[in-house]
Amino acid sequence: MYFDVKGRKVFASTGGKPFDNSKPCVIFLHGSGLDHTFWGLHSRFFAFRHYSVLCLDLPGHSNSEGPPLQSIEKIGEWLNDVVEALDVKNISIVAHSQGVLDALEFVSNHPERVRSMSLIASGLATPVNPALIDAAENDPDKAVAMMVSWGFGTVGHFHQGPIPGYSMVAGGRKIMLGNAPQELATDLKACDAYRNGKKAAAKISGPIQVMVAGKDRMAPRKATDELIKHLKDPEVHLFPESGHMLPQEAPDECRNLLKHFIFTNNPAD
Amino acid sequence: MGFTTRQIHAGVTPDPTTGSILTPIYQATTFVQDSVDEYLDKGYSYSRSGNPTVRALELKLADLEGGADCACFGTGMAATQATMLAFLNAGAHAIVSDVAYGGTYRLATKVLSRFGVEFTFADTSDPAQVAAAVRDNTSLIFTETPANPTLKCSDIAAISEIAKQTGAVHVVDNTILTPYFQLPLELGADVAVHSTTKYMDGHNATVGGAAISKHEEHAEAIRFIQNSTGSIMSPQVAWLTSQGCKTLSIRMDRQSANALAVAKFLEAHPKVAQVRYPGLESFPQYELASRQASGYGAMAWFEVEGGLEAGKKLMDNVEVWTLAENLGSVESLITHPVTMTHADVEEAERQRVGIIDGLVRISVGLEDAEDLIGALDKALDKI
Amino acid sequence: MSHFYHFDTISLHAGQILDPEFGARAAPIYQTTSYVFPDTDTAASTFNLERGGHVYSRITNPTVAVLEQRIAALEGGSAAVCMASGMAATFCAITAILSQGDHIVASSQMYGGNVSLMKNTLPRFGIDTTFFDPTNIDDFKSAIQDNTRLIYGELIGNPGLDILDLDAIAKIAADQHIPFMVDATFNTPYLCKCFDYGVNMTIHSLTKWMGGHGVAIGGAVVDGGNFDWGASSKYPTISEPYAPFQGIVFWEEFGPSAYATRIRAEAMRDFGAQMSPMNAFLLLQGIETLSLRMDRHLSNTKAMLEYLSNHKQVSWVNHPDLASHPSHKVAKKYLPKGAGSIISFGVKGGRDAGRAFIENVRLASHLANVGDAKTLIIHPATTTHSRIDADALVAAGITEDMVRLSVGLEDIEDIKADFENGFRATRKIAES
Repeated sequence: MYFDVKGRKVFASTGGKPFDNSKPCVIFLHGSGLDHTFWGLHSRFFAFRHYSVLCLDLPGHSNSEGPPLQSIEKIGEWLNDVVEALDVKNISIVAHSQGVLDALEFVSNHPERVRSMSLIASGLATPVNPALIDAAENDPDKAVAMMVSWGFGTVGHFHQGPIPGYSMVAGGRKIMLGNAPQELATDLKACDAYRNGKKAAAKISGPIQVMVAGKDRMAPRKATDELIKHLKDPEVHLFPESGHMLPQEAPDECRNLLKHFIFTNNPAD
Repeated sequence: MGFTTRQIHAGVTPDPTTGSILTPIYQATTFVQDSVDEYLDKGYSYSRSGNPTVRALELKLADLEGGADCACFGTGMAATQATMLAFLNAGAHAIVSDVAYGGTYRLATKVLSRFGVEFTFADTSDPAQVAAAVRDNTSLIFTETPANPTLKCSDIAAISEIAKQTGAVHVVDNTILTPYFQLPLELGADVAVHSTTKYMDGHNATVGGAAISKHEEHAEAIRFIQNSTGSIMSPQVAWLTSQGCKTLSIRMDRQSANALAVAKFLEAHPKVAQVRYPGLESFPQYELASRQASGYGAMAWFEVEGGLEAGKKLMDNVEVWTLAENLGSVESLITHPVTMTHADVEEAERQRVGIIDGLVRISVGLEDAEDLIGALDKALDKI
Repeated sequence: MSHFYHFDTISLHAGQILDPEFGARAAPIYQTTSYVFPDTDTAASTFNLERGGHVYSRITNPTVAVLEQRIAALEGGSAAVCMASGMAATFCAITAILSQGDHIVASSQMYGGNVSLMKNTLPRFGIDTTFFDPTNIDDFKSAIQDNTRLIYGELIGNPGLDILDLDAIAKIAADQHIPFMVDATFNTPYLCKCFDYGVNMTIHSLTKWMGGHGVAIGGAVVDGGNFDWGASSKYPTISEPYAPFQGIVFWEEFGPSAYATRIRAEAMRDFGAQMSPMNAFLLLQGIETLSLRMDRHLSNTKAMLEYLSNHKQVSWVNHPDLASHPSHKVAKKYLPKGAGSIISFGVKGGRDAGRAFIENVRLASHLANVGDAKTLIIHPATTTHSRIDADALVAAGITEDMVRLSVGLEDIEDIKADFENGFRATRKIAES
């Protein structure tokens, strides 16, 4: 679905059902350099169970008009613009990686809009290796290779995964290549510069679910522990064997946790 | 649960990974262990010692025969061989049905005899002769009932009693009737062996065997021999045999009904000198056959007037019936044991046990009875 | 800094999730039609493509899926779908995106089955094809029409063995927003990864070098994941709602695997050309030795090129690795390891000599397949093309003295010795 946010064209997949703002809404937020298709094994499930779904492409990513936003704070504001543009209520946020930082910014400033948050594979801050930022700007193939290589665990690297015939490593690479170099580099710099995580977390109450990937090389345990420490009573789930791309590497387990958490905290009749 | 339900469901659970309704074919030599300490936690290490696809069939057959456990083999002869090796050491003695399958006879006289095992071939249709053959070192009694091809029956319960008193293991080759019609373990026997090539598969697709033990310790002894001698069943064969087993009871019902119709036809035909089918009231052991089994199977034999030459003419001319070894399949087969299945048995021995030169063996299949009878009728006309 | 498993490791491991129940090292053969669902919600969500999983073996099968994911990984594509044959793959790959009124631009140098599909069969359904000379980029450009929706070719052409200039064609295709599909059967991903040069989908007859042993027929379509189906309204089967799945828009929900998912959802369901689990198992086993075999195919080919080029009874030898071949330069660019193991050559003495040669070799099998572990030869003028006259042969790129050779894995000295027998028989004919 295309819609307009402050004069710019924005794309969101609605999970195969028409968008209906009278229903509770699950908003899926992708990580750096990715797009809405990252959530294919989750979005459709909720759309067919009485939720409205917004699987967003951030500005400048895949189908959404650019330019990409320069900071996490700006993306937080933009998310509020999206919510206002569509007049969405009863929101559940599901966020991965950079999307978690975007969610912390948005929710800390507008807590009344959100019923639940599911935060996957991220810390409070995401310092980025300067070599990666440099590669994203100057040698996108190399940057994408680094991200895909670090991002996926065993399931990804051995091209396993539950969708018959699908290689998530190759798929992820294609999406990122499509968004490189400009969007990817901008995303990485925004992550690297973000310092407000602790303050934002302190302003958030309400139900929070955190999923941690045991073999995460992008958001190491020290970072995810820091996030968990600063949140109020989060429900924490560890996926010991998964890499950073947890929603793709362990989709069934991840979807089940999302289902129980969102069905409980943001019920849709 | 009933036999037909069990022949379909016993031993099979949907694959936990994918939900596959059939057990996958684990065409794999080896099984990866989670850790050294968890060696064999999932039950398998190397396919000679065990394979999940073969195991599913073993559990099914153990259930159908009412045994504690089952081991499946590359052939029926391998099952017989492993069972004999499990209970016979050098210096031991075994009593074997004098009308046992030709391959069993060959294994005993030409192979195991080389390793110092002694055999007595007794007329097991008479329990008194079995009792008379017992020696101090008798550790195995091997019967086949009804026997192939004579169809002579042995009293399983009576011989089991003799075995018990002797301390011998009673092994029954139950290939001809299958557990659907006859349950040797329930009648007192210790081990039932099968050529699964026959009715279990039923479609002439595989060669295989099985040994089902009533007691766990016997099963272990057999499995030990199997793992040592390596006569295992392949996963592909196990999978196809499991498929065949699902229709065992309905095939047996139909094939035995066909066999009775064919036997009655032959009995009434002027050119037929004699017919043997356990379901005919004229069958010499009709009472025993009716007492220890719930059906009569689909094997019969007959002799045409004119003996061997007339019989050969019939076999060469008959349509629908296929001139081939094997038995028990959906295709009706016609065989001349003297030149085919029992050629290795010495002539004197053949004559003694009743494998006469003119004996024509038939394995009745699933075709329409009218076609089977019509073809025989036409062929008999030509004699 | 980044690490991905390399080709040989992928050939052995990719796509196979170690059987969690027993740890079976080989992929189990799921010879089953259907799959039991733990509950109705799982059933509904699997049917509705909300999650991965298996419903019915016409659509997907766990053993076939291992093969599909392995091929996707080897090719560097986002997804693969396997079919009962290479022709089924070509047909499903085309009809997934083309409908009545659409047009294909295809190389004129292709396998006869592909040519026939485009020349005779697809026109019955309103899909027409213009063929272009693969060595002439202007000819290609001028073949493109407003309604062109697909560009198709074989990297190593048949029978001339001319090589497609992938970069040049891909650039023009991308500018016009037309997907570029390549039949990669003769090269396999070991010799060329077509997606690195802008190709959008590849087709494989797995029957040939991928399987490598002549035991199973199979095909595959690989989705490169690099074509934006939503960027125009030319491809409604992917960019517009699809009624059978509650109005799903493949492009929107599946991104890089939208095309493969469309094939799965439509072609596998409606056309039913599913590969059998047993064939998938056999083909997987073949792929385990793909690179080893290809290296040997190539080294034997190199030796045969040298042998044939220096043989008195040979009038000409055709292979892109020879400097004399018109595609030699292009071949070096896309196929640096070697341009495959098919050689064509002329036997001195024409049609009769060709026939005599075939009749007097023993090791080389006389048959119409290619890509077997065994050396195969055929004399088109007396077999596949025996019913056409000399002029028509020339038009088809076939000469009366032409022998096609698919170099196998035998000891090279034995192949040469066998050929000596064949040539000895041709000498008299050539001299008479």
